[in-house]
Amino acid sequence: MKKVLVVEDDKFLRKIIKRKLSAEGYEVLEAVDGEEGIRMAKGKKPDLILLDLVLPEITGFEVLAKLKEKGPVSEIPVIILSNLSGVEEIRKGIKMGAADYLVKAHFNPSEIILKMELVFGKNKK
Amino acid sequence: MTFFKKEKSEFLNGNKEIAITNYLTDGLLVFNKESKLTLVNPQAERLFEIIEEKVLGKSILELSRYERMSPVVSLLGGGMRPVNKEEIQIRESLILEVTSVPISKNGERLNTLIIVHDVTREKLADQMKSEFVTLAAHQLRTPTSAIKWSLKSLLQGEYGDLEESQKELIDKAYETNEKVIELVRDLLDVAQIEEGKYLTKLVLTDVESIIKSVLDSRKQEIEKRKLHVEFQRSNTSRIMIDVEKMDIALVNLLDNALRYTMRGGKIIIELNQTGKEIEIKISDNGVGIPKEEQARVFSKFFRGSNVIKMETEGTGLGLYISRNIIEAHGGRLWFESEEKKGTTFHIVLPVKERFGQFLTGEFY
Repeated sequence: MKKVLVVEDDKFLRKIIKRKLSAEGYEVLEAVDGEEGIRMAKGKKPDLILLDLVLPEITGFEVLAKLKEKGPVSEIPVIILSNLSGVEEIRKGIKMGAADYLVKAHFNPSEIILKMELVFGKNKK
Repeated sequence: MTFFKKEKSEFLNGNKEIAITNYLTDGLLVFNKESKLTLVNPQAERLFEIIEEKVLGKSILELSRYERMSPVVSLLGGGMRPVNKEEIQIRESLILEVTSVPISKNGERLNTLIIVHDVTREKLADQMKSEFVTLAAHQLRTPTSAIKWSLKSLLQGEYGDLEESQKELIDKAYETNEKVIELVRDLLDVAQIEEGKYLTKLVLTDVESIIKSVLDSRKQEIEKRKLHVEFQRSNTSRIMIDVEKMDIALVNLLDNALRYTMRGGKIIIELNQTGKEIEIKISDNGVGIPKEEQARVFSKFFRGSNVIKMETEGTGLGLYISRNIIEAHGGRLWFESEEKKGTTFHIVLPVKERFGQFLTGEFY
């Protein structure tokens, strides 16, 4: 069973995506802020991380930078799932090593899972 | 020096005009037919940090030595190219709008006036407005995402089966929410366009594949409304494109053709290349755009008076966005239309195969 870490501060969004992921057979880990996200990534070694950008305390970009530092967690694919969609944020996210950048309002949970599967497919080889 | 002083007074033809130029709120530079500077008013001295005594008699190229003058010289192409209200950013807190007007007599150019208008304050206000729109739009996105995700989960039966009437209602709510999401996306796109930050990822792509995917995404609607859609293509070069953005531009144009063509109508998409230009033509035999409204088609929030009555959806931002996307790629967008007969949109994209060809443009 693949483990997915959802770093999302909005409780309601977290609940919906968790339910969908569980129904599709994923084990879901949840983090409500950046610090917890980093801790759980290091401690639980998920297979993929869905990362929000606007988070309390430290931002998603700071989380991404920490995750991409050398070490075993740097290999975990991260999909940014944010409602920011500026040219600068997208460029920055991809440049910092995110596997994909999805705008929440433009994707349904099932479409997000399809994007995750694409990332898993790429990483298989 | 005295020679130029003399020439200056000749140009000004007396003291009254000197007084006028001195009190103009815009900067003014006058060059003679040898492209030498013969007049500079105090506003221009202030804006460019130059001193009249030192610059009079200098040629336009010599003036590029002065740090603030150099962008103006580049804008004028080192010569006296006519320019109409073009903006240049001298530094972060100084944006100027430059107009150059040649003055000719009997076909011979005598003088060139360069008028410089400080637009820093307007630009700052524009920026604040677009920052406000961006902030408000983002605030709307979290709730609309939550609505989208939960309604979709309901529709997909994750919370139990729904009766047909329940499904219909939720479906309608979902579609309504999609309209809000679309409007928010359009507003954010407009704000980004106005901040001059637009293209993100340029990739060497063939236009045909983008048109195909756009057509594919609208397959259901085309079938439902029994529209005849034809795609006539010839081989074209691959060019540097921001695929996501070009997709938006073409979807907007195709959606207009689909929306404003009656059931059973015909839409033809043509793709051709002539030399270094790729042309896409999207023609429909739909309702057309009333003649008296055609000049406003590309302005923000424009919607044709004949289509408002049709109860069709649309934010009125689509064509404004499409035009900006196409122009950001160095292309052009225009149309011909006749009410009740149909509309043809023409898109021309220059063949740019390397990223570097964009660097000279205004997008990065």
